[in-house]
Amino acid sequence: VNQMSFVPPPPPPVPVSFSGDRGEFRRLVEYGAGLELITVGFYRFWLATDIRRHLWSNTHIDGDAAEYTGRARELLIGFLFALAILVPIYLSYFLVGLEAERLKAFASFPLFAFFYLFGQFAIYRARRYRLTRTVWRGVRFWMSGSGWAYAARAALWGVLMIFTLGLILPWREAALERYKMRHSFYGDLQGSFEGRGWEFFKRGWWIWFTAIALPVIGAVASAPPRFFPLPLAKAATQIAPFLWFGMLVAAPFLYGAFKAVQWRWWISGIRFGDVRLESELRPQALIGLYWKVIGWFLLLVVLLAVYLFACAAAMVGISDFSHAAGKLQGSIPMLVLGGIGYLAFILLLNVVFRIYLLRDLWARVMGSTILHHIEAAANVTARGELANALGEGFADGLDVAGF
Amino acid sequence: MDSGAENSAAASAPTNPAIYFDGLSSRRRAVSLVFGNALEINQDGHAVVAWSYDDIRRADSPAGSLRLSCLAAPPLARLETRDAALVAELNSRCARLDQDAPGRRGVGAIVGWSLAAAVSIVAVVLFGVPLAADRLTPLVPQSFERRLGAVAEQQVRIVFGGKVCENPAGRAAFIKLVNAVREAGNFEASVESAVLSSPIPNAFALPGGKVYLFSGLLAKADNADEIAGILGHELGHVRNRDGTRTLIHNGGTSFLIGLLFGDITGSSALIFASRSLVTASYSREAEQAADSFAISVMHRLGRSPKPMGELMFRVTGKEASGLSILANHPLTEDRLARMSREDAPPSGPPLLTPQEWQSLKAICVQGN
Repeated sequence: VNQMSFVPPPPPPVPVSFSGDRGEFRRLVEYGAGLELITVGFYRFWLATDIRRHLWSNTHIDGDAAEYTGRARELLIGFLFALAILVPIYLSYFLVGLEAERLKAFASFPLFAFFYLFGQFAIYRARRYRLTRTVWRGVRFWMSGSGWAYAARAALWGVLMIFTLGLILPWREAALERYKMRHSFYGDLQGSFEGRGWEFFKRGWWIWFTAIALPVIGAVASAPPRFFPLPLAKAATQIAPFLWFGMLVAAPFLYGAFKAVQWRWWISGIRFGDVRLESELRPQALIGLYWKVIGWFLLLVVLLAVYLFACAAAMVGISDFSHAAGKLQGSIPMLVLGGIGYLAFILLLNVVFRIYLLRDLWARVMGSTILHHIEAAANVTARGELANALGEGFADGLDVAGF
Repeated sequence: MDSGAENSAAASAPTNPAIYFDGLSSRRRAVSLVFGNALEINQDGHAVVAWSYDDIRRADSPAGSLRLSCLAAPPLARLETRDAALVAELNSRCARLDQDAPGRRGVGAIVGWSLAAAVSIVAVVLFGVPLAADRLTPLVPQSFERRLGAVAEQQVRIVFGGKVCENPAGRAAFIKLVNAVREAGNFEASVESAVLSSPIPNAFALPGGKVYLFSGLLAKADNADEIAGILGHELGHVRNRDGTRTLIHNGGTSFLIGLLFGDITGSSALIFASRSLVTASYSREAEQAADSFAISVMHRLGRSPKPMGELMFRVTGKEASGLSILANHPLTEDRLARMSREDAPPSGPPLLTPQEWQSLKAICVQGN
């Protein structure tokens, strides 16, 4: 006990660790997926809350586990409020869009921009909700700032993204994260973000080049042969299928590497007062997760196909199979069996997504994070109000994701 | 045995490790617990605070540890311990530990309320939305309907090429036929109609009262009564304002069904399937109403509605192999049977002379 008050001169960095039991999480999401089916989707609020409670309370920072204090009822109310606000907006969107399209085709584009703005607002407010439900050592995190000011910034950077084919992403992320972290607090400890766009760019430019620039160059080169000497164009069309296949195989590698670089850069930029976060996530750390999801996806597709084939065979008989398509067209039992198979497929796929891309990803990202100067958070005064879940509701209603 | 364990836990309490956070600052305090009338939390031998056992609730914690909150304390004040003896002692003393635990008793209620919500949404889709569409449609101003029609027309012209057939003799015959049907149906003069050059054998009415006939249907037609019946059917849609009604109906149905399964990734196919079931049955009713209108128009003209059924049958063939609850039209053979029942020998003059009929058939042929 007495050793607690003794502070050694150079405090070593402390690791973040994740202790969640994988089997427990698997049972949680399997049970949740089943209930989601029975409740025609309404269980999603409870499942999301249970998943967060599991992830938060098994994440240890300097020996003390975090806690998620949000409740599903709040998400449900947020969703209902968002619905009450979104329905009149959708209706007026329809009426204004009708009028605009009549005047000139594509005139309704600004309305699309309005919904983009709304989505960014939802992302900011949803993060605020989650942050104010995050508690560590009896003190909550909280967030100030304006969701609309954030949305305006995000939209302006979004325009630049279009013109630069995404090359400006690192600077966009840095600027938006600076805004978000500047308005984030742990008790009276103010957050900040020190990640630089240039750092992100240096680590990730090759991903952008392979995933976006190469295909664009390839498409331009193979599309109008009259701009190029004929033999070159011919060669391009011959190797094009191989190139596309190569891109398909490379995509999970590239995306996995991109996400790892992004996580590492983001975490390493976070500060709360003097507390400094650092991530040691390696670029290849997440690639395996994406391949496992792809493997499960292919396996489930094969199982679904076998199931449908078996159902069809049971109904027409193997001998008559060449005419099966004609016989089964519009057959109600086949439709019902197909629907059941499809639902099971979707639910299993959701379980796979949540295990690999939520739980395992969280465990890997948290497990590679360390904190410097954690002693700066040893005596922080509690502050900050709870935010409502309206942002989560909007994000749900508008189908936007992000944090 | 029980009391013995209690005594030993109480006796050894001062040395048992527990961590206390007061909810006002993040200060981590190593404390000892004394189990008296209330739970006493002591730091360095001094009482910090006492929690009444009935106010103590469980908070989320990692496996192997117990984390407690207290209703009377600041909401985020926490007491944590990993000591098995302390955990057992606290579990036995705090009777209401799990009273507010989320998700335990609630699952049955969630399922029940969700099913009630689902039933109510389905009931609204099946009964409320058609009723609302019927009641709201007369309230939609004609000017708005014409705007809808104008937007739809632009799209139609893009999709089908949209060349209007303008052969003068054919045009004159077409106008004569449309006017005959229009007057028999008691329409004012505002119905616009045209023949579009397209191989697709079809005809349709747009909101606001525009009727289009594709030349593909003319090519399959054998006489003027067949086309008159089709025009009567389309004018029936205009009269019933089916375009606007379908718009309100489909919009409401999509929105409500979208509420179900809102977030399950990949459920859109399911939503789409159930929506097409509902909207198809609604559209079947609208088609039957338009058929009734066409039949009454043909009777008023003194002509038989049967040729119209024959033309449709010629176009679609027998449809029985299809799934009838998925079809947005009634089965053609059923429609033909209905029109055959309404068959009567002609009592009125032919709608077009043979000469005019030939001109109408050739309306898309460019000539001077």
